Amino acid sequence: MIETDTMQLHKLVEEALPELDTMIGWAAGEDALHTTPIFIRGAKSIPRLIWSPFCAQNLTGYLVKPPALKPADKHKQIGICVKGCDSRSLVALIQEKFITRDRLRIFGIPCRGTVDWRKVMRQVRLSHVRSAKVEDNRLIVDDAGGTHKLNLEDVLARKCLRCLYPNPVVYDVLVGEPTVSRIKPEDIYRDVDALEKRPLEERLAFWQSELDRCMRCYACRNACPLCVCQEHCIAETRDPKWLTLRMGIPEKFLFHFIHAMHLAGRCTECGECERVCPMEIPVTLMKEKLNKIMEEMLGYVAGLDPTAIPPLLTFNPSETGV
Amino acid sequence: MAGKIFIAIDRLTLALDKLSAKIDLWIPASLQTDNRELTEFVPYHAGMVPILDRQTTLPPKKILLPQVETLLRFEHRKDPQNPLKVSVSLDDKSEVRPALVFGARPCDVKGFLTLDRVFTNGPYVDPYYLERRRNTLFATLVCLQADGTCFCSSVGSGPADTEGSDFRVIPVDGGYVVDALTQKAQSLIDSLGDTPTQHQEAQARQVVEEASQHRVGDLDLTGSAEAFRKRFANDDYWQEMTAQCLSCGICTYVCPTCYCFTITDEIENMRGERLRSWDSCMFYQYTLEASGHNPRPSKLNRYRNRAGHKFSYIPEKYDGLIGCCGCGRCIRSCPVSIDIRQIVGRLKENACESE
Repeated sequence: MIETDTMQLHKLVEEALPELDTMIGWAAGEDALHTTPIFIRGAKSIPRLIWSPFCAQNLTGYLVKPPALKPADKHKQIGICVKGCDSRSLVALIQEKFITRDRLRIFGIPCRGTVDWRKVMRQVRLSHVRSAKVEDNRLIVDDAGGTHKLNLEDVLARKCLRCLYPNPVVYDVLVGEPTVSRIKPEDIYRDVDALEKRPLEERLAFWQSELDRCMRCYACRNACPLCVCQEHCIAETRDPKWLTLRMGIPEKFLFHFIHAMHLAGRCTECGECERVCPMEIPVTLMKEKLNKIMEEMLGYVAGLDPTAIPPLLTFNPSETGV
Repeated sequence: MAGKIFIAIDRLTLALDKLSAKIDLWIPASLQTDNRELTEFVPYHAGMVPILDRQTTLPPKKILLPQVETLLRFEHRKDPQNPLKVSVSLDDKSEVRPALVFGARPCDVKGFLTLDRVFTNGPYVDPYYLERRRNTLFATLVCLQADGTCFCSSVGSGPADTEGSDFRVIPVDGGYVVDALTQKAQSLIDSLGDTPTQHQEAQARQVVEEASQHRVGDLDLTGSAEAFRKRFANDDYWQEMTAQCLSCGICTYVCPTCYCFTITDEIENMRGERLRSWDSCMFYQYTLEASGHNPRPSKLNRYRNRAGHKFSYIPEKYDGLIGCCGCGRCIRSCPVSIDIRQIVGRLKENACESE
């Protein structure tokens, strides 16, 4: 199935390439559990393009993060591969006018979930991974120690287990067959709900212990397609100096909560911040809480309708009592 | 027998307890009780179990070069009689206690050899680093767990390398044979275990012999420093190699040899601290000048600095020492799977896609 989808993708990209400045997709990474982004400009690179459950990265950030990818020839488009979650980032970026819909050729790929390599390593300590594939509900990995069969549910990224939009919400061509969500809509905030049930002191202790590990490497911020201040982020500006360089919990707390607050009603829960964190901090959880509030109070879900205006991006002088 | 002991696996925590009574002890462990992949070097306390079956996520670098350290504290005082007259008092007292890092790997210790050249061997000696370096011992495992991203043999080290170590810890059946390699190690080793049997000693010799023969990684760095200089101005090459980069600080923060730092004064009212913190050449602010000019404005310039530093500038400045210990952490931790072996390896190729 996956192999057929990759072949279909190659064919579609080959047909589209003359009209594209650059095609962004995934290629094999440092081992079979990892992939790396690839920027295709000539047909000879197309065979490197892959689609698999290891294509975890959201590639849409490359459209906006410096140096943002822009077509050298303004009559050409940028091609990009998106999963369901990634396509919602495109919607948010279109809403906020960071990108223009007609400058993009979107290759939408229905996704049955991506594998979190750290979860795999927790199940079985792999060394020299040779191959990895998903068959039905199993992950099959070959490494120096032989063949390992793992339950797919145990190694899928947390965001995939609670994904309500496995099919792209915006696309030009669809690669593969649409699929169904693994979760009921009423359950998507179950991780937030579980945390909210705990007493305040425990919640505080939870976040203090989680955030204490933060190294301030800013991978969460840099991987986020919607965290667009980038080089002018208040975490690093020295004038004005909002945060010291101390490694105390207050500094880390402030950075992460500013990051989360700036994404209120904008975050599409693509999970990049959590995926890239080398310290395994569940940073998306903060944004899920804010999204839950947005949904309950304002009935808004980010990244679904390119023509909608996110509530916190509106300004109405007649509003009172907010 | 002095100089060599055997610690049985079930006596390891007892040995660590004894050691920790004499010296501040660091071990590779997981700080959390829940099931995490993350491991790092942490201060030992009784009952902790060292994780010795794999390389730690983070290197022991912070033990000698903390992510943030206070270089000095200062306080401004106004003269009550004449408030325009302000005096400053400085306090740079610091206490460094003897420490032992148990269960480092050859790559971890190799990393400090680069830091040593920079902080202790140049025209300027860094007293903060030097003091900790002098007071810290390393008990280094013979590494039998090289992974696909490891390449220590390519940078002049190897899984049985002892350079920079005070003890060599050799895994054998049922435990570890520990050799004291330095005078300081000698004084700590005696009470930790039993004299190894002849069989254990023979097995230890064999483990070391086999590990010494094992070549980890096939990156050939001959001529790489020169190739880097030739490719330096080829922006297309660097653009192609770094297009994926997110400009985050992971590779530098998990790197045992990255030592760039920044110094800031953090002031509240009349008192403050001068801090030294890890910097990262991946950050836009890294060489941002006060004028607003940035000589390394984009990620290609900044990643080029990282590659050049390790494989060209350091070898050329420090008698061929490679500024990389081959631990593979930057590859393993990179969220977009950038592989420094490929970037450096391809420097010597005749042409890249865009040339």
